[in-house]
Amino acid sequence: MTISSDPKKVTKICFDRIDIPNQKSLAVARENGAYEFLPTVLKKFDADKIINEVKTSGLRGRGGAGFPTGLKWSFVPRNTGKPTYLLCNADEGEPGTFKDRDIMRFDPHLLIEGMIMAGFALDVRDAYIYIRGEFLHEANVLNEAIKEAYEANLLGENILGSGFSMNLLVHRGAGAYVCGEETALIESLEGRAGRPRFKPPFPAVEGFYKCPTVVNNVETLATVPAILKHGGAWHAAIGIPNNTGCKIFSVSGHVNKPGNYEVPMGTTLRSLIENQCGGLQHGTVPKAIIPGGSSTPWILAEHYDVPLTYDDIMKAGSFLGSGAIIVMDETADVVALTRRLSHFYAHESCGQCTPCREGTGWVERVMNRVDGGSGCEGDLKVLKEASEHMAGRTICALAEGAAAPILSMLEHFPDEVRSRLKEKSS
Amino acid sequence: MTVLYINDEEVTVAAGTSILEACREQGAEVPYFCYHPELSVAANCRMCLVEVEGWNKPTASCCTPVAEGMKVRTQSEGLEKDREMMMEYLLIHHPLDCPVCDQGGACKLQDYAVEHGASHGRYNEVKRSVVDHDLGPFISTCMTRCIHCTRCVRFAEEIAGTSDMGVLDRGDHMRIDGIVEDCLSSELSGNLADICPVGSLLDKPSNDISRPWEVTRHKSTCTQCPQGCDITIESRGDEVIRIKPYRDGVEPWICDRGRYVYDAFRSDERILEPKVRENGALTSSNWDDAISRTVALLQGKRVGIVFSPDWSIEGLTSIRLLNDIAFEGAKVAFDLHRRDMREFSFEEGLSMTTQQIEDAEQVVVLGSDLRQRLPVLMQRLRKRINSGRPVTRIGAMNYRTNSEPTCDALIRPRDWPAVIARAMEQVTELGKLAAGMDEWMSKVKERHEAGKLLADALISDSCAMLVGEEIRSHEDAAALIYGLDLLMRACGHTEEGSDGRNLIPEGMNAQLLSAVFGDVRTSVGALFDAASNGELDALLLIGSDPLGDGLFPAQAKAAMGKVPLIQVGAISGQVSEYAEVQLPAAAYSEVEGSFINMEGRVRVADQPLKSMGSERPLWKVMMRLVQSMGGEVPAVDMGELRDQVLRFAPALKATWSGGAEELIVPSRNRGVKTLASAAKPSASLDVVSRYSLYREGAWARASDLLVEAGRLHCLDDVLVHPDTLKSAGLSEGENSIKTAAGDEAAYYVGQREDVAPGVLFVAKRGVAGDLSSESSAELAGGK
Amino acid sequence: MSAVENALPQFSEARLDEIKVLVARYPHARSALLPVLYMAQEDFSYLSMEVQQHVADTLGLHLMAVREVVTFYTMFREKPCGTYLLEVCTNAGCMLNGADDLVRHLCDKLDIKVGETTPDGMFTVTEVECAGACGGAPVVQINNAYHEKADAAHMDAFITEVRGKGGEA
Repeated sequence: MTISSDPKKVTKICFDRIDIPNQKSLAVARENGAYEFLPTVLKKFDADKIINEVKTSGLRGRGGAGFPTGLKWSFVPRNTGKPTYLLCNADEGEPGTFKDRDIMRFDPHLLIEGMIMAGFALDVRDAYIYIRGEFLHEANVLNEAIKEAYEANLLGENILGSGFSMNLLVHRGAGAYVCGEETALIESLEGRAGRPRFKPPFPAVEGFYKCPTVVNNVETLATVPAILKHGGAWHAAIGIPNNTGCKIFSVSGHVNKPGNYEVPMGTTLRSLIENQCGGLQHGTVPKAIIPGGSSTPWILAEHYDVPLTYDDIMKAGSFLGSGAIIVMDETADVVALTRRLSHFYAHESCGQCTPCREGTGWVERVMNRVDGGSGCEGDLKVLKEASEHMAGRTICALAEGAAAPILSMLEHFPDEVRSRLKEKSS
Repeated sequence: MTVLYINDEEVTVAAGTSILEACREQGAEVPYFCYHPELSVAANCRMCLVEVEGWNKPTASCCTPVAEGMKVRTQSEGLEKDREMMMEYLLIHHPLDCPVCDQGGACKLQDYAVEHGASHGRYNEVKRSVVDHDLGPFISTCMTRCIHCTRCVRFAEEIAGTSDMGVLDRGDHMRIDGIVEDCLSSELSGNLADICPVGSLLDKPSNDISRPWEVTRHKSTCTQCPQGCDITIESRGDEVIRIKPYRDGVEPWICDRGRYVYDAFRSDERILEPKVRENGALTSSNWDDAISRTVALLQGKRVGIVFSPDWSIEGLTSIRLLNDIAFEGAKVAFDLHRRDMREFSFEEGLSMTTQQIEDAEQVVVLGSDLRQRLPVLMQRLRKRINSGRPVTRIGAMNYRTNSEPTCDALIRPRDWPAVIARAMEQVTELGKLAAGMDEWMSKVKERHEAGKLLADALISDSCAMLVGEEIRSHEDAAALIYGLDLLMRACGHTEEGSDGRNLIPEGMNAQLLSAVFGDVRTSVGALFDAASNGELDALLLIGSDPLGDGLFPAQAKAAMGKVPLIQVGAISGQVSEYAEVQLPAAAYSEVEGSFINMEGRVRVADQPLKSMGSERPLWKVMMRLVQSMGGEVPAVDMGELRDQVLRFAPALKATWSGGAEELIVPSRNRGVKTLASAAKPSASLDVVSRYSLYREGAWARASDLLVEAGRLHCLDDVLVHPDTLKSAGLSEGENSIKTAAGDEAAYYVGQREDVAPGVLFVAKRGVAGDLSSESSAELAGGK
Repeated sequence: MSAVENALPQFSEARLDEIKVLVARYPHARSALLPVLYMAQEDFSYLSMEVQQHVADTLGLHLMAVREVVTFYTMFREKPCGTYLLEVCTNAGCMLNGADDLVRHLCDKLDIKVGETTPDGMFTVTEVECAGACGGAPVVQINNAYHEKADAAHMDAFITEVRGKGGEA
């Protein structure tokens, strides 16, 4: 691995080898350090050591929830008589997020190695990568890489003579954003419609076919090899306390160089956009920024200098989420964007819970009228109440995500909204 | 146990209870739609939100387990607003149908809208409307009213086991769909209308007839099968509108047969006035005339009485009284499915309650189409199987159960001795012995491997053995049951408290019938043969229909053609063609009386409906006959009649005097030592006669609703395994079947893999009816 | 076998072997439903009711279980579509970079409305949700292949090329 062992010098972890041509082939990947440390892990480490290193590292789930990964792994009961499953969440459906795609298509062996190490720690025999259906190319790349890994005894029976055996299979989703939610993912992997389950029971105890299950994001698992090689303390020294390590931010919208950029946690939003992303397309001050994917509340220019960490973004009134930054400059039509997002949530609601099922459809139809110029004052009250009473009252957090853009639009741009209403109010 | 606080009141509940269940136990009102105590938790309606101190969001109480010291609030301003919003969400697309919707007056949506909802909704956009489905004759659909609680989907999967209702699409396009061919295939489908909280799934037969507040509710007992479910008969004026499960009954569900038989109450088949045959036709008469005609035909003659078991206990006893006084020494018969009249080691009735059967370590079903025979008990076994507990099944067909029995075996009825002997061998090897077992085994040459499955189930701490109609109607039943008794004894399942011997009875009141008629009973076949042979002068048929039901249709027809017949009953049926006189007896819904179900539970019905015509309670008809034949009437009122009953069954005293419920136990005959007969069946194929839920019993056949269901669920006349057809060199279609006596007739023979090879399964009793009289037959030739 | 039965869709022997191997990779056959539906869609071009019944029979499931999945997920088609399925993302990042104009352009050029197929059966245009490649907005998937920075010029060139080759892939 070319990552520096001096945490102060680390700027990339997951994207370390992303630009190397043909890094997806096993031979090239190995030249660049893939699987080099694996034999040591399999021979010298045990479950406790691995889980402790990951705990020490401070790694938090990179899919959006930000839950401490080591802690999540420690919840899995041992010796239940039931198999434990490791599921990689590669559904990447949160609008604005496209980071996992690059890991999978450019450095698949990084993910595979991370899964083998995680599987070893959790005593997993069968692991699956649940990848969104649209990522056909990425699924093919992964399948090819997995095939090579099996042939090289890196997967399957008795990996590298260690006595540990693990299978890995890529399972394609079929177009449902809600399957990115871990219990919906499990339902989908069981061959059903992806409708989330209520918790408790938690997947760690009763997940895939009622067996202990860990669901981790691609980026989370891809960070594991570096943590085990350099140590949890090394990772903890990168970034900011409680917000350790690096993060891949997917930046899109009104920037000149949209794309995926991995930077140490704590990098400011302004610095990321103005340096890596080539600045705003129009003007120098953003109109609004969605910091963590469309399900997170918007932040305004006053927070342009916020450090990109879980804690700081929360103080600014939003969430880091998946790290998908959607930038709106002065030319953005926030009402139209909100209308489009309300369509997204109505389309993607699984339909189980009353407020989300009926509320997202209601909100979409009202937004269509408001954006189209036939809205009235009463509609604004409806949008607010319908959204507020979806959020927090459902089985999963999709409703919260649906409420976020509506409430942000109403809170931060009331005048712009009102300017679109009809003259007469009802 | 966990202690928590609900609205500041301390409450103690079992650990793991949900907050909603704790609230219900304590009496705190929490609204809900999707929760149902018999179904898995779905938590999708979000109506049951409550506040928990320290938690920053309201939580769904149905899926949140209680925790020690938890403080729950079920009322607050926030919750009020939440509930108001939930109602507003639900009423966005729900049509304003109340004036034309049957659920009105018994609708959760209405009730909560009034209690929790705002006075008007603010939705001004396009409203959703949904295409309806045809789910068959029992359930009507109005899917636009659906609020997606998924109770019906969970019912179809967990209770009915058919999984034919599901959820399609997502978001607010989501809709419930049913995949059916002509009709819902479950025998429990009527319950869907009960559990749907809105008017989306409604009871079709009673649709649009009355409002819930117009009906009178009569607590009653269903007598269609030995389960004897507690039912509520809803009537408006004198008309029965609907039958539903009784709210606090033992079982939460009833089957479609007990539910939809009610239209038989007012069918043209009802005997509502005395009739006598004049010039070849039955014509209206009056009681005096009819009684005097009856007396002329019966008094001083040799009479054979055949009756059905589903009269009340009081009514049944009155038959005995009539027999003793007017026809001293005469024999009676009442079991249309029993050929072997020798004493059984354990007579009809269950030793366990249905709950104990559900909870037993092992359950083994021997020779029964349990789903059709006892659908509500089968539902308990389905629950068992779904939760991963074992059920073994051995019989002549892999009857549809809408579940997957853990293990099963197909055998022919003639193989039962070999099965039992093999089981005996197996348990002996494991050191389980009972005196007499060696002798029993020695009389049987063959061994059948299915016996190993039986033995495996018997080696357990508790085993519920359900002995079904295939064994009970066997010609050598007494020997088989003795053999099973030995097996149960050897394995420790005959002691009090762990007695697992459950012989499924013919109908209701089995335990009492043994007590009351034990010494005067004979087999139905023998009684009819006696009539045909000139040993009887007349037949008195009380409620029974041996032409349409049972295993003696040929004998019945022959007998009825030979001697005059008096018909006492509620339903005319085919038998009426032979009746000289018809005397109307009141239906089970129209009498005050007691009934004993297969578990031995006694139910006293005291809210009868009014009679529809001149029919009288059976016991009054019997006493009138006693009087008219010059005898001394032993009972003039219910009190005296019950004293008579107590002569035969003293255990009932406790129940009638309001004491604690005591279960009446089935008879045991310890002295039985019947060994397997060496006789071989006279033809190569065993005949097994099908029990059809929708067509069995005169009541069912008099109900248009059940006749329609029977038509939709019917099978070919006769079914055999493909190998059986092949070895006879025949193919599916019209084929000729020859009985042991040499009679030949043509039937439509279909093939199915789930019928045991070597078995002729008579599926369509009405058409293949006469074959039911046979125990073996041959496939004689093709078209 | 009657003529009607012969006309019903059937997986080939090779495909059935493939399914058998796949089913063994999961704890229960039901898990293989999504991948098998993809196979069926590949083999039979869309999932008619007969195809759905065949999939149900192949995996030992009730037809309802298959229908629940087919109707829930957007990538399973119950009706045929054009040879080239043009799925334009119009969600956040793409919307902010001209996706709506692109959709209008495609519809005008092909003379169809969103969701429709051209009369020659070549092209279907639909709008889809975030494709997960926002850095390359606007994104168009053509038969599941990602075309990033797929502006009007790019799409015109593609359509011309395909039509020029007489409609071959």
